[in-house]
Amino acid sequence: MSAINVRDLAPGTSIVLADGAEAEIVTNPGDGMWLFARYLSSPRDPTLVGQEEMIFAPDVVALGR
Amino acid sequence: MAMDDKRGYRSGLVDLRAGEVSREIFVNEHIYAEEQERIFARAWLHVGHESQIPKPGDYFVSSMGEESVILCRDRAGKIHVFLNSCRHRGMKVCRYDQGTTAVFTCPYHGWSYGTDGRLVGVPYFREAYHSRLDKEKWGLVEVAQMHNYKGSIWATWDPAAPGFTEYLGDFTRYLDLQLDGWDGREGQAEVLGGIQKWLVPCNWKFPAENFSGDTYHNISHRSVDLAGIGPSGAGRRDMGERDVSRKLHVCIPDRGHQTIHYVLPAGKSPPPAYLNAPIVAEYVRHCEEERRRLRGEEARLVGAPGEIFPNTALLSRQPRTMAVWHPRSPHQTECWRWFFVDRDAPTEVKHFLRDYYIRYSGPAGMTEQDDMENWNYAHAASRGTIARRYPYNYDQGSGTAVTNYEYQGLRVPGEVIDLTETQSSEQPMRNFYRRWAEFMEADDWSRLATWRGGERKAAE
Repeated sequence: MSAINVRDLAPGTSIVLADGAEAEIVTNPGDGMWLFARYLSSPRDPTLVGQEEMIFAPDVVALGR
Repeated sequence: MAMDDKRGYRSGLVDLRAGEVSREIFVNEHIYAEEQERIFARAWLHVGHESQIPKPGDYFVSSMGEESVILCRDRAGKIHVFLNSCRHRGMKVCRYDQGTTAVFTCPYHGWSYGTDGRLVGVPYFREAYHSRLDKEKWGLVEVAQMHNYKGSIWATWDPAAPGFTEYLGDFTRYLDLQLDGWDGREGQAEVLGGIQKWLVPCNWKFPAENFSGDTYHNISHRSVDLAGIGPSGAGRRDMGERDVSRKLHVCIPDRGHQTIHYVLPAGKSPPPAYLNAPIVAEYVRHCEEERRRLRGEEARLVGAPGEIFPNTALLSRQPRTMAVWHPRSPHQTECWRWFFVDRDAPTEVKHFLRDYYIRYSGPAGMTEQDDMENWNYAHAASRGTIARRYPYNYDQGSGTAVTNYEYQGLRVPGEVIDLTETQSSEQPMRNFYRRWAEFMEADDWSRLATWRGGERKAAE
């Protein structure tokens, strides 16, 4: 799987994370390393759903629905 | 005055009784290293201007001594000054000159900081740090004190330093001339265009003492005067208001700040200026009228080159500019120059002033080029083993300054020398180096804040 360039992702884009969680981008600071995103689902830790967190670029493994 | 190059500062290198200053303080690497700790880690330093960061997320990368710092406005609009160095491995977290951002992300390992300095992003925080890293503890290093003085941002690393206005003392009125509107309204200045930055192969104290009020070197600018770059087509600036004024050196002895200063006679208006640009001439005439109406007698004060200790230079009239002399090594200084205009001045006025200012100052400015040539060659000719055995002479006008000077009913605080009578003096340089020596010798502010009743003995 080729790496996703997170700099290209716009707010509102859905992303799939390495642990299977899915999140929606809220803000993209454009540094190529981080995204601010809100969890849509999180099988590992369901308490994260609805929370906004910073997502590290290597954790983004695919685009969501 | 000779000394072993392996040694650093010692009392006697600045000898004001003899009117001598050792060349070692300009060229000695140990003394330079001590300056970083004893002066630049303790004094108030100019960082930038709020008009450079008008919106939340705006930042401007500046310097405090050798340290890179970020001046930024956080999401809530609060202004901060941070050390530009990641807490993890020290990498610069911001490598641009200025811009707008949501976060400062370290490109080395990815630690990321909010514009309020908080550590907000740590790669593998849960997995590798087991969520135990105390993010509150590892935010960007913030200056100990910051002060917004009429839009200009000043900071110090020293929590024990006195507040900024106390640090300025009676020098506030000269910084006011820089930052207030030409029409006398408070804090009307804005930065015009970008910041000019350039390197000069000299010690930082050469430009600092030059802008402290060295009128003796005017002969260096003879060629500029002959070229006639001034805004009325003659000389390098309009001399009308200076020619009718009392010309003074004013020194604030406890603080190390000093300036050239002009005082108009009572009831006298400045003669017309900017004759090559009628719209500017009319703007200035209107401003002077307003200033007299708003400020009364105080409007007789006319600013000229000055220096706030240690490394910030002022010039409030022609050209209206501030400079900071950043130390980069004993033998190299990075000069930064800001140009200012009244923020609501007409666009045509701003354009004319910009063209005149950069014709005068900055790396391409004709007058500053003369200065740089002097600093460059004086420094180079002072580095040699033989040359550094011989001190510089600072004896001019020694012992002739007065306090409580008054001219036609207007009192001027500080130590004053009337240059209309004496033509020239080196009192401002003595004032600067006296303070420099105090900073090098005093271990804490109980001895540096001499105006609070502490003793004064360095250099005299």
